[in-house]
Amino acid sequence: MIRYTMIRVVWIFLILVTTLSINFVILKSAPEYPPTQPEDRDMWYARQVSDGFYTERLITDEAEIERVRADEHDPIQNSFYRDEGDRIRVFEPVPISIQYFTWVSNIVTDWHWGYSTRVQPNTEVFEVLSSRIPVTLRLNLVALVFYIPIGFGLGIWAALKKNSLADNVISLSVMIFISLPSFVVMLFLVLIFGYTLGWLPNQWPPSYASDLNQFLGIILPVLGLSFGSIAGLTRTTRAELTEVLTSEFLLLARTKGLTRQQSVIRHAMRNSMVPLVPGIIASFVGLLSGSVIIEQIYTIPGTGRIFIRALAQNNLDYNLLLGISAFYTIIGLFAVLLVDLSYGVVDPRIRMGAKK
Amino acid sequence: MIKYEEYSDEQVKDIKKSDFEFIQRDEKVYDKKFETKPIGYFKDAMIRFAKNRVNVVATLILVTLILLSVFVPILTTKNYDVLETQLTYLPPRVPLLERLGILDGSRYLEDQTVDRATIGTIEGYPELGLPLNRDPEFIDMDTLKNYSIPCSDLDDRCYGGEVRMSLGNTTFLTMRSSTVFEFDPEFDPTVTVTIDDIFAEDNTFVNVMISLDGGLTFELLGTMDEVGTEEFEVFHPMFLHEDVIESYVYLQLNSDLSNGWVHFLSVTVDDTSSDDVIRHDQGFSLHSYTVTEGNGRRSRINGELLFASFKWDPYRAAFGERYESAFSAERFYALIEENQDKCGLVEGDMSVAPTAENPWVFAEGCSVTRVVGRTEIVIGPGGSQHYSYSLYQDFMISRGYSSIPYFFFGTTQGGRDLFALTWVGLRTSLTIGIIVSFINITVGIIYGSISGYYGGKVDLLMERFSEVISRIPWLVTLSIFMALIGPGALTLILVLIVSGWIGVSSVTRTQFYRYKGREYVLASRTLGAKDSRLIFRHILPNGIGTIITASVLMIPMVMFTEAALSYLGFGIGHGQSFRVLGIELSGVSVGVLLSDGRTEMMTRPYLTLYPAIIISILMITFNMFGNALRDAFNPSLRGSE
Repeated sequence: MIRYTMIRVVWIFLILVTTLSINFVILKSAPEYPPTQPEDRDMWYARQVSDGFYTERLITDEAEIERVRADEHDPIQNSFYRDEGDRIRVFEPVPISIQYFTWVSNIVTDWHWGYSTRVQPNTEVFEVLSSRIPVTLRLNLVALVFYIPIGFGLGIWAALKKNSLADNVISLSVMIFISLPSFVVMLFLVLIFGYTLGWLPNQWPPSYASDLNQFLGIILPVLGLSFGSIAGLTRTTRAELTEVLTSEFLLLARTKGLTRQQSVIRHAMRNSMVPLVPGIIASFVGLLSGSVIIEQIYTIPGTGRIFIRALAQNNLDYNLLLGISAFYTIIGLFAVLLVDLSYGVVDPRIRMGAKK
Repeated sequence: MIKYEEYSDEQVKDIKKSDFEFIQRDEKVYDKKFETKPIGYFKDAMIRFAKNRVNVVATLILVTLILLSVFVPILTTKNYDVLETQLTYLPPRVPLLERLGILDGSRYLEDQTVDRATIGTIEGYPELGLPLNRDPEFIDMDTLKNYSIPCSDLDDRCYGGEVRMSLGNTTFLTMRSSTVFEFDPEFDPTVTVTIDDIFAEDNTFVNVMISLDGGLTFELLGTMDEVGTEEFEVFHPMFLHEDVIESYVYLQLNSDLSNGWVHFLSVTVDDTSSDDVIRHDQGFSLHSYTVTEGNGRRSRINGELLFASFKWDPYRAAFGERYESAFSAERFYALIEENQDKCGLVEGDMSVAPTAENPWVFAEGCSVTRVVGRTEIVIGPGGSQHYSYSLYQDFMISRGYSSIPYFFFGTTQGGRDLFALTWVGLRTSLTIGIIVSFINITVGIIYGSISGYYGGKVDLLMERFSEVISRIPWLVTLSIFMALIGPGALTLILVLIVSGWIGVSSVTRTQFYRYKGREYVLASRTLGAKDSRLIFRHILPNGIGTIITASVLMIPMVMFTEAALSYLGFGIGHGQSFRVLGIELSGVSVGVLLSDGRTEMMTRPYLTLYPAIIISILMITFNMFGNALRDAFNPSLRGSE
């Protein structure tokens, strides 16, 4: 088990490094978008130089200055020429391979992800994110806590009352909600409860709002996030439980004298859990990426929203994008690891990594 | 021939050998034909598919939707791609339903500022006023209501109320009128001030003054220290200097302590030169007095805004007459030429240039109704004449409609028909869904085939590779393609492809593992078949049913993601297009429409509602169809229902 865990951890770490490296190299080879305000831009270039991503050079030769001014030179991509009257200050990026190693060492030694360029110029990426990660995580965890019991409950109900009216209604709703894109559900929710009925706020309450308003404000995004997940969980639970309920060991359990309740809870449920628990852990990743669009609709100041802002056309903020990508990738891969390990915990019969 | 049943058990024991005879001694035995028809794999699937009524209905709806998305954009007579600002945001209007009073294309407008000058001019409604900038012809007068709400706006629509002056840390505060008055002694000029309320302690009083030198020194006309109206003569000593005095009127609030205040209701300047007063300031005009000296606040209190609410017919308003100021002569004559039969001149003389008094009036049914002016003729190079007309156009006829059209889902901000646009968007979504699914399935099948067929190290490496790809979050791929390409069809399709093929490849791989060890494959291999033949002739055809049905669900899944990405603004968008097999397709997808509707969700929910409903129905039916198809083709479920 330990050996297996170690292999998985190493493997997942490899995937993480690969993903982020590809991301870094490609983004850094695309055209750079430095801050727009001159003072922010100067500061940003100075910082890039001190962080080791750029080199600074002065052109004092008259002829060369003229050539630069007449735009007859051949600049390196992403370099920046600042005209200072009698001389020209040039900021040129170092080769991407060197940038890459600098970037990695900055992260490993200082946990320094670089500076934002467009969203919040010259603010450290981690600082920009640190205020937003809790919002996103809280929203998603609340959704997780909210949807699991409901999904389980409905699934169990449908499986126990198979082919009854309740089962049919549940199955039909599952079909509908599993098909609908979560943002369409969210739009309907906001339209109905936010605008038409006016029962709930139609956007995320500001941080200074009262506790009651904060609570009311979280209802719609949680609902919007969890409808699809509830439908998915209900469907899997129902399918698994139905299968287990018709199996022979359950018949044996009944024949040896257990009541229906006892047999369902002790034998059927536990066995149907096996594929469900990993599914739930994996669903957290789905929730998280689904929440990007929910955040956009409900103007929630989370990581998803800042991602969309950093990705605006001709206004790209690469360092921030890298930071957010890292956040989502790490959480995603961590969930994968948990999924892999959870099989062995939920069902002791499965020995992960055991030799055949 | 003796039959077995005729014997009892005892008798059977003692049957003699000679009693036996061959059944077929006298007849030949042929293969008997099946009395029932054989049921093949596909037929069986069809039967089981058709058994579930719900799925059949869902499939029918799905087919209808797809047909609509193909034919509506081709057949519609309404505009869905040109910008038509005149038709912006028309509400939905549906025939038949409009008679019931729902979806009749009318809007109930509220909080429209009333033009006070119109109060009393409407026949039958003497106490009501009309809203500003709305043609009364299109207002349903029975629903017109006027109501006031309090306001303190610095706005001339805010009516009545008082102007409050209050001191802050000083003992006086001065303000002056917004215009300069000419006081002529001949006509006994007076200034009348009405105070509505005043702070009664601390020796609070108001000085009414004029100034001969622009505010340096003042001449006191009088003082007020209580509520009421008082008239002050602009009197004698000053007239020694000049015949006519030009001055502002100054109002100065004085108090011993710094908490004095006063509410002015009105200031009137009058003389006997005519019956009308020279100027009467109250409400907003009184508030526009300038504070010149002292410290304190001046604010407006108890003002009222008069609003109207009414039912408005935006269709008739939009399709009515429209004034065009620069209609080029060339266009005009071409238009008249083209519609000679309709455009007879009813009034005026075409040989004389038209004016507002002597317009050219055309017959009903002509898109130009009246021509009311012509610009100077400019002689261009080569002696060509250039000029244009000012005219009134019947918007409905000029846009080729014979009656006011029905926009079932209303119109968008650009004046495009949302109904047609929704189907156009659905067509785009479907096209992208099909293209992407096709690529994903092809790539997935090839990748999965190779991986599954060769197995071993190749399989291991390919599996690890696809695992890495599948673990990359879509945010990462999206940001990479956004940085490299920017938003558009290509980015959208690439993002959907990057990890989309992995599902298909793993299904294919499983199928290959299932079939590659079978005897018939081994037999073919011993006969010398190459790998490609084994893969494409022997293994793939066996597994293809499962692979394809598992992939049907890919189309709605792709559409799902496409809608989300377009909603976020990474899709194709308005005004762009992309080509598929030589056909130019609009870049508007359902996601784009929903994204457009987002800012108008409060006031015009239909912009979001209709596209959302249509895409929801499509997704639901598509999923039901896909699931039913998968179940129908799944041999293990045969006979289980």
